[in-house]
Amino acid sequence: MSQTSADHASGPATAAHDRLLDSRGMVREADAFITACVISRDSSRIAFATGDGVVHLAAGKADPAAAWGRLAAHDGSVLSLCQDISAQDFLTGGDDNRLCRILGSDLTASAGTAVRELARGRRWVEHVVSVIDGRTGLIASAHGKQVELRDIAGQSIRSFAHDSTVTGLAFDIKGKRIAASHYNGASLRFVNAKTDAPRVLTWKGSHIGVAIHPGGEAVVTAMQENELHGWRLADGHNMRMSGYPQKTQSLSFSRNGRWLATSGADMVVLWPFFGGGPMGKAPMELAGIPGVICTRVAFHPQHEIVAAGFEDGTVLMTDVASKRVLPVCGTQEAAVSALAFSPDGSTLAFGTESGRMAVIDLAVPQDKP
Amino acid sequence: MSETQTETNLIPVTVLTGYLGAGKTTLLNHILTGEHGRKYAVIINEFGELGVDNDLVVDADEEVFEMNNGCICCTVRGDLIRILGSLMKRRGRFDGIIVETTGLADPAPVAQTFFVDDEIKAKTRLDAVITVVDALNLPARLADSSEAQNQIAFADVIVLNKTDLVDDAALADIEARIRGINRFARIHRAQRGNVPITALLDQGGFDLKRALETAPDFLESDSHSHDDEIQSLSFEVEEPLDGNKFQAWIGALLQEQGQDILRSKGILAYAGEKRRFAFQAVHMMADGDFIGPWKDGEKPTSRLVFIGRNLNRPRLRRGFESCRAS
Repeated sequence: MSQTSADHASGPATAAHDRLLDSRGMVREADAFITACVISRDSSRIAFATGDGVVHLAAGKADPAAAWGRLAAHDGSVLSLCQDISAQDFLTGGDDNRLCRILGSDLTASAGTAVRELARGRRWVEHVVSVIDGRTGLIASAHGKQVELRDIAGQSIRSFAHDSTVTGLAFDIKGKRIAASHYNGASLRFVNAKTDAPRVLTWKGSHIGVAIHPGGEAVVTAMQENELHGWRLADGHNMRMSGYPQKTQSLSFSRNGRWLATSGADMVVLWPFFGGGPMGKAPMELAGIPGVICTRVAFHPQHEIVAAGFEDGTVLMTDVASKRVLPVCGTQEAAVSALAFSPDGSTLAFGTESGRMAVIDLAVPQDKP
Repeated sequence: MSETQTETNLIPVTVLTGYLGAGKTTLLNHILTGEHGRKYAVIINEFGELGVDNDLVVDADEEVFEMNNGCICCTVRGDLIRILGSLMKRRGRFDGIIVETTGLADPAPVAQTFFVDDEIKAKTRLDAVITVVDALNLPARLADSSEAQNQIAFADVIVLNKTDLVDDAALADIEARIRGINRFARIHRAQRGNVPITALLDQGGFDLKRALETAPDFLESDSHSHDDEIQSLSFEVEEPLDGNKFQAWIGALLQEQGQDILRSKGILAYAGEKRRFAFQAVHMMADGDFIGPWKDGEKPTSRLVFIGRNLNRPRLRRGFESCRAS
């Protein structure tokens, strides 16, 4: 990884800005809006979800020659996508009100065998998340004002009601707590609590997404009013992070929780969660393209390297300490709408509003030219 | 952006409002089953009166919230922002979106949603607010609810339904009553929602010209009926305006009186500018953009209309006239 960065980050990106995509990337066209992309827990399968209900599956560098799978999973749009508990599978929620499991092992399988319906309700399944908690796993899905906590088979264990529609879901890193964002704040719950007594984090307004600090120190939401709101969990202290020209659609903490990367400005905005921050601290600004809004961010799972996608299709990776920029892909025809690292950090995937799907191998090359 | 570009790239959204029992759902089904070869996504509220006959129906709760942006009356529909945002990702499967509101809904939060959210603004356009009213029961509704008045005030198109239940004289009275509140909406008489689709969809909602065609005498003829507190006023200035002066004046006016001014819109001629400036606002939320040039032979004239409560005509006139470029 670091070897690769050093090779390509020298000098400004001009003609060479697509080099990484050209030399180490695989690109396919889906002909539909890419709503999400996620890489499986074992880093061997890459899933792209689309606005026409299809899930595309790739093997990436695990098997570059393998044909991609194409599964018509939902009748409508795939609204949410996450890793399943198992190594190669995924979970999807759709505007056909279904929660599905996508089996990733066999890329040639048909939708009949590779898509399993776990639940069907009366509302869109707008969010789905999963976490491995020691020996077992938990799944949570949101439809309307309701959050369903599920076991690994997808059976509902308990449900949590809210006063307004749930707009975001996040487990903490150990799977002990789950946060849901909604109007006027977020609700934080212990998943094993005997009674449903959420800790309600209150702040007036419409909260549209949520993240939990990896160290469990804070909950952060994105707001309709182009700002972030945070609560320090130790004392409930409110933290306001503002100054964005647009809504923040994407939030990503670094592995150790030192930084929170955010979209919504014409640069990558990083809030420091150390040394007393983010209160009273200016955010760090990285890898800007003047006038071009960042639409997706993803922190590398090990290193302090952040990937960012922009509304003109540009994808960059930046090392936080050195601020060195590694261009992945230059301007494309549409905005980056999905972006993810693999858990082992050796693959980056992104998708665009016009349907481009790209997988980039970041591993130290064996056959370096 | 040229006018044609704007028209083709943005998905039109039609808002269908009206009191419970006025015939909203009947009209909606009439639109959906019409022979227009178009597909619509329909967003309805959970407590709809009748079933809706369409492939793509989204149930929504009317989740209104207040923006923390200093405007006391700036409420928007968070659920619409979310749903429209998701629907945009499946573009190509439908040609337009129809939003049905509950009978008691104030149309302002729906309309304001299209001003507030950048994503919604970039991908959709509010085509028209259609208000369905019931010829038999409208007088009673107007007497007992301000929502009924607001729904008429917000309308670009009014479907005066159930005309078979009243006689001609009563119908004329009701139309006069509607005109007293909103002189700029197009009124279509109907029975069981039988209005030509062309009169409902692709209205280009914000088209002052069409409003002028429907009410050619609207300028300066103050026909405000004193039964209702909402009235509509229009103003015209023949000399070119100073854009900065206009922005300063309208901004201050809406800050001060935005709660009373439900809607305002105008086509403005700025000094030294060949294109027309289109302005519109819902309460305090204002928006404006240059649109195509004045037509050949057309005399650039600035026109502005207000629909609201407690409007002071002389004061508004003086204010508008003070925006003339000196």
